[in-house]
Amino acid sequence: MLQLQAVSKRFGDRQVARGLNLQLGQGEVLALLGPSGGGKSTLLKMIAGLEAPDEGRILFAGQDLATVPVEQRGFALMFQDFALFPHLDVLGNVCFGLRERGMARPAAQQQARACLQQLGLGGMEARKVWTLSGGEQQRVALARALVTIPRLLLLDEPFSSLDADLRRQLQQEFRQQLQGTAMPAVLVTHDREEAFALADRVAVLKDGVIVQCASPAQLLAAPATPWLARFIGYENVLEDGVVPEQALQLGQGQPVAEVRRIIQLADGVRVTVASSAGELTLTLSARELQQHAANLQVGGTLAVGIDRSAMLAYSAA
Amino acid sequence: MTERRPNLALALLPLAFLLSMSILPLLRLLQEGQGQFSLGLLADSYLRWRIVWSLLQAVASSVAALLIGLPIAWCLARYRFPGRSLTLRLLMLPFVMPTLVAGMGVLALFGPQGLLGVNLQDTPWLLLYGNLFFNLPLVIRAACEGLAQIPASRLAAARTLGATPWRVFWRVEWPAVRPWLWSALCLVFLYCFSGFGLALLLGGQRYATVEVEIYQLVAYELNLADAGALALLMLLVTGAMATLYAWLERRLAAPLKVDPLPPRAPQGREWLQLLAALGVLLLFGGLPLLAVLWRAGQALLLHGPDVLRDEDIRLALFNSARFTALAVLLAAGLGWLHAMAARGSLALRALAFLPFIVSPVCLAFGLLLLYPQWTASLSLLLATYALLAYPFVARSLASALDSLPAHWPQAARSLGATPLHAFVRVSWPLLQPAFRRGLAFAAATALGEFAVTLFLSRPEWLTLTTLIYQRLGRPGADNAASAMLLSAVLMLLALLAFVLIEWPSAAERQLKKES
Repeated sequence: MLQLQAVSKRFGDRQVARGLNLQLGQGEVLALLGPSGGGKSTLLKMIAGLEAPDEGRILFAGQDLATVPVEQRGFALMFQDFALFPHLDVLGNVCFGLRERGMARPAAQQQARACLQQLGLGGMEARKVWTLSGGEQQRVALARALVTIPRLLLLDEPFSSLDADLRRQLQQEFRQQLQGTAMPAVLVTHDREEAFALADRVAVLKDGVIVQCASPAQLLAAPATPWLARFIGYENVLEDGVVPEQALQLGQGQPVAEVRRIIQLADGVRVTVASSAGELTLTLSARELQQHAANLQVGGTLAVGIDRSAMLAYSAA
Repeated sequence: MTERRPNLALALLPLAFLLSMSILPLLRLLQEGQGQFSLGLLADSYLRWRIVWSLLQAVASSVAALLIGLPIAWCLARYRFPGRSLTLRLLMLPFVMPTLVAGMGVLALFGPQGLLGVNLQDTPWLLLYGNLFFNLPLVIRAACEGLAQIPASRLAAARTLGATPWRVFWRVEWPAVRPWLWSALCLVFLYCFSGFGLALLLGGQRYATVEVEIYQLVAYELNLADAGALALLMLLVTGAMATLYAWLERRLAAPLKVDPLPPRAPQGREWLQLLAALGVLLLFGGLPLLAVLWRAGQALLLHGPDVLRDEDIRLALFNSARFTALAVLLAAGLGWLHAMAARGSLALRALAFLPFIVSPVCLAFGLLLLYPQWTASLSLLLATYALLAYPFVARSLASALDSLPAHWPQAARSLGATPLHAFVRVSWPLLQPAFRRGLAFAAATALGEFAVTLFLSRPEWLTLTTLIYQRLGRPGADNAASAMLLSAVLMLLALLAFVLIEWPSAAERQLKKES
């Protein structure tokens, strides 16, 4: 559906997109994941039409969007701060897009009510938006975006202003909502958990370049570069590959390494040791601790080795 | 609570001053007017026309300022162009420009033998044009401020929901800017309704306002009864308007930290929009001042600098200088006390607005009634100057005190500074730019003061403004030339005050560089 072809964008001397290519299929959710300042939000704004690319083309359903103004693209963009209109109540906010598309007021209100009901916001129609909690605001913003049945849903860090518990709950709800509609969506986030939980495919962006674009499982199984491996959460990133937890072997016969740091966890410990391959961090369950390192202490030793065959090689080596 | 007591002690002096210099005179005026007020006043068709015209010109000026100001403000807020920040700064200029200078500028353009070849004297247009000179920038500034409070994401959200730029204006920007505009329009109405200098100079026989009528009744006809009744009416209308303004102002959301839409370079036809906006702004805000300069230059070429060499001018310059200096000195003290006292007290803060909104003619009239024994005393004149000037110092300092984080002086104290040292080394350097700004405003106010001076002055207290007015009323090219030259001098002095106000201090420049 959505196609980005060699899209480049520069702000002053900062290159935020360098010849990006991306594809998005029907009903697919794509996450743009990357550190802040990596050009994710700019890319989203270019898709929405709020910024124009310096070079390259953006197509939707085969149509070049270069000359299509924002309001005619039929994409809904949901903002990090939700951007609810403070002079309108909840119902007015949700009706906004429908009214702009020329729907008569009664019909728009009926549809907006139905959408609010569906998102668990029934009875809140007349509330002022600043009296809503963060989670309610998020849902109103989502309702406002979904009610217009956009051709593409764009989400800019939609959960980042919520606290952790609420975030997880709403992410789950959101995933269900989206699966129900088969609406394609592009999600910008700096949170890998969020990207993995919500997206079918994840494009990792760094300095305006897509380092890797793959499904969460593929990303975890074969990260493209050491930087990317670290960014998606691997601890033991060596020059020739990632050492996942299952590639670390304990017990007799393994080389002895010095213990550098110990962090107590509820059900075990997290140990960092200095091995011949470099620093390694591993999590020992209470059982393993009993079995292999009964009197573990900083400055002491732990026998730990690497199973080379279980290591993950970099796909972009 | 321990902090409250010294604050009230500090407030005593400014409060006593406000009470004796504005509240009591106004009450005295109310009492005077009450005795005389009858509906018979309205039956007089001459006075009825004065009242109707006063209201009408204020409403017309407000509506025109809104219709012309809003599009200009939108262009200034949304388009990036060379000289943008200078233009935004220059919008402050009318705040320090004496009414007489503006009036002279309007006359130089559209008066008899005006530069533009159309004589609009004895039509309503002169006064409306003069009103817009002062009030259009006020509306533009308010609208720009309102537009800057709209987060860019809100505008973008509306666009992605299908709204065209024009629809975004109506459905998102206009509702957000509206509260700012209403409160600005209240002020515009208030200033136009109770303005004196412009109406006196530009209104002529037919289009003078109630304020001018009060002045004429008191000064020339000694008809205190009718003047009192009219003043009562003025007080009621301005009081109602000021209350409405205060109410609207309170409803304005406290400025939040938002990411406003950054201005962008105009493209294609947008350049035409921008140029038209700047052109209209220049027509209303710049042309009168340029006309004064032009005419003064002509006068200088024609008559030579000797026109300025006479006894009266020397006296007026001397008086203006010493009155301004003394008024600024008084304003500094009162303003400082008021600002320190007003910390944390909304009521005290609001009181500092009182001298801004009360009509100077009513004030002077009330003072004359209340203190008849002091009518010819210099101290009353100076005290009135101080009254009109000190709120600028108080407000400027109060907002600087607000933005001064309490933990900075505390940090200084914990590093071993005595309270005095903490003040001298931390607080004062941070407050000093605001103080200087307040003083410059105060100086400009005292320098350009006209209404009260006309009421309370004696011939030997001739100031620049009263001299200009005198010369304007006398026949002869020499008098006209020197009036214009003196206006130019007054304007340059106001410009100097403006530069002092707007020129960022070294510390502010540093801050700007870092941010």
